[in-house]
Amino acid sequence: MDFGLSVEERQIRDTVRAFVEKEVMPLEPEVLRNERAGRPGIEPEVLRGLRDKARQMGFWGINTPEEYGGAALGPVMSAIIAMETGRTFVPFSFGGSADNILYAGNEEQKRRYLIPTIEGERRSCFAITEPGAGSDARNIRTRAVKDGGEWVINGEKTFITGGNEADFVMVFAVTDPEKGANGGVTCFLVDRDMGWKSEPIPTMGQWGPASLVFEDVRVPEENILGELGQGFQLAMQWIGQGRYMIPARAVGAAERLLQMAIDYAKIRKSMGRPIAEYQAIQWMIADSQVEIEAAKWLTLNAAWQVQQGRDARHAASIAKLNGAIMANQVVDRVMQIHGGMGYTKELPIERWYRELRLLRIFEGTDEIQRRTIARNLLRGHARLGTIGE
Amino acid sequence: MNIVVCVKQVPDTATERKLRSDDNTLDRDAADGVVNELDEYAVEEALRLKEAHGGEVTVLTMGPDKAADTIRKALAMGADKAVHLVDDALHGSDALSTSYAMAQTLKKIGFDLVILGSESTDARTGVLAAMLAERLGVAQLTLANKVEVEGSAVTIQRVTDYGYDKVQGSLPAVISVVEKINEPRYPSFKGIMAAKKKPVQKLGAAEAELAADQIGLGAAWSEVTEAAAAPPRAAGTVVKDEGDGGVKTADFLSSKKFI
Repeated sequence: MDFGLSVEERQIRDTVRAFVEKEVMPLEPEVLRNERAGRPGIEPEVLRGLRDKARQMGFWGINTPEEYGGAALGPVMSAIIAMETGRTFVPFSFGGSADNILYAGNEEQKRRYLIPTIEGERRSCFAITEPGAGSDARNIRTRAVKDGGEWVINGEKTFITGGNEADFVMVFAVTDPEKGANGGVTCFLVDRDMGWKSEPIPTMGQWGPASLVFEDVRVPEENILGELGQGFQLAMQWIGQGRYMIPARAVGAAERLLQMAIDYAKIRKSMGRPIAEYQAIQWMIADSQVEIEAAKWLTLNAAWQVQQGRDARHAASIAKLNGAIMANQVVDRVMQIHGGMGYTKELPIERWYRELRLLRIFEGTDEIQRRTIARNLLRGHARLGTIGE
Repeated sequence: MNIVVCVKQVPDTATERKLRSDDNTLDRDAADGVVNELDEYAVEEALRLKEAHGGEVTVLTMGPDKAADTIRKALAMGADKAVHLVDDALHGSDALSTSYAMAQTLKKIGFDLVILGSESTDARTGVLAAMLAERLGVAQLTLANKVEVEGSAVTIQRVTDYGYDKVQGSLPAVISVVEKINEPRYPSFKGIMAAKKKPVQKLGAAEAELAADQIGLGAAWSEVTEAAAAPPRAAGTVVKDEGDGGVKTADFLSSKKFI
């Protein structure tokens, strides 16, 4: 059993860390200022500039196949890199990647949607959730009806990440109500200029999803992604992609936050002594690291299972549930250690506090993850007593 | 052009650095080793010169086994090959004996241009470039914030208190660079993966033909007799503005010779 990184892996990790520290973290004060003033934290051009700079160094398409210009570093390295980029709250990630299901397109679709998305020229969004269908995605109502050589889509999608910025959507609609999720749901690639509208949904944090409205949006037959009626399988594939990336980012954020708390505890004095000398503070620091380490290894285990080509859904649910709860506990303690300062908008802790709360809700709530884990065990899909098997 | 860049592994300045209690030399196990920051500028400058003029960049380091990490970083940035001078007998070498060992090795491997960072963040003597040039009998062009090579002429801008001097020499030469000279590149993914296939030659004291009485702690001309932790920072001076804040601030800066 080897828990270490190879020399190359370590060097990639260190290089990403240096890039984040030198190029991204210096933007943090400005991001905080912008957000306080109600502006976007980072201008799209600045983000693009950073990505281009990273691209020159080969930090591009971390998990994208080489034939599409990616580095194809695999799930474990992707998770490790996400831990590094997660150290900053600047919404930065390396460019050069696209939704996994776009690879299911035909050559023409790849040319029009997949490659421009990888290149950063087009922006996608994934739309399955509806006001009446969240984790129970089988209940979607958005309807697509065939009319000559076109499909006419009507319905509403909600909480769509990237929906305000996207210029095309991978939307899931019912094409055969009799069959429903078993062969009656289809995925369509729909350009914004085909007529769908988006409306931002303000949230507690910086995540700014959209609701999308489809009113008699006409889509040509050739814009079906994959096969007619097989959309639900694509949706599950998309949802399953890189779920371990969520706890990976959470680990990075939590480590950065804990370091802030450690640094602060050493200089902040109360009753004549640095608060780091008080057991109450020490226990918070200790518990936080224990939880971070647990989340780190659960995440790496899930990523490793994906890398081995296994069905990693169970491991990913465990990692996501644990990582989301861990991050919320750690940020809460870090705020507590900072006292009044932690609650102010001078420091980024309250911002992180709001942002990390989302982790327990999106991409499957804590409750859905627990349901998945329990059902897998109860039905024998997952076994106890395994180590990497 | 055959360029050799000298790099050194130093303890991370972000961590607590210590001296060994037995011989007052640097405790290299106590802190993480990183590439001396100024050497990254030297590597970058070497790579730029190679890109402009062709040739080859060789990394030369002297240090314990774990200094191999430093070599790998320079190779990942784009250097072609490396020489690692490693021998227990070199432990405790001061600047003078280090320059001897490095000069001997440089003579052995050959060079047109040797580039160094102007100093290391650990010992900070800043004399190695001058010593190397002297021992090798070649031009010494130090503290460069700009380097130009044309034919066999090397011209640098040497940073001074008042600006810079233009200094010219002819190849072969030794150059030391300051941090304003460039912005070191990050290793690329491809560079990192390629680094492990690049040749690294390990040389012991015997292979580098070093005289035993010229190296190591025993040969050192300087000795650390005592070390003490830096005193904690004293409280700063608060200037209270009672209508004369500007004058008081100016007086304070003047007393410290800032203005």
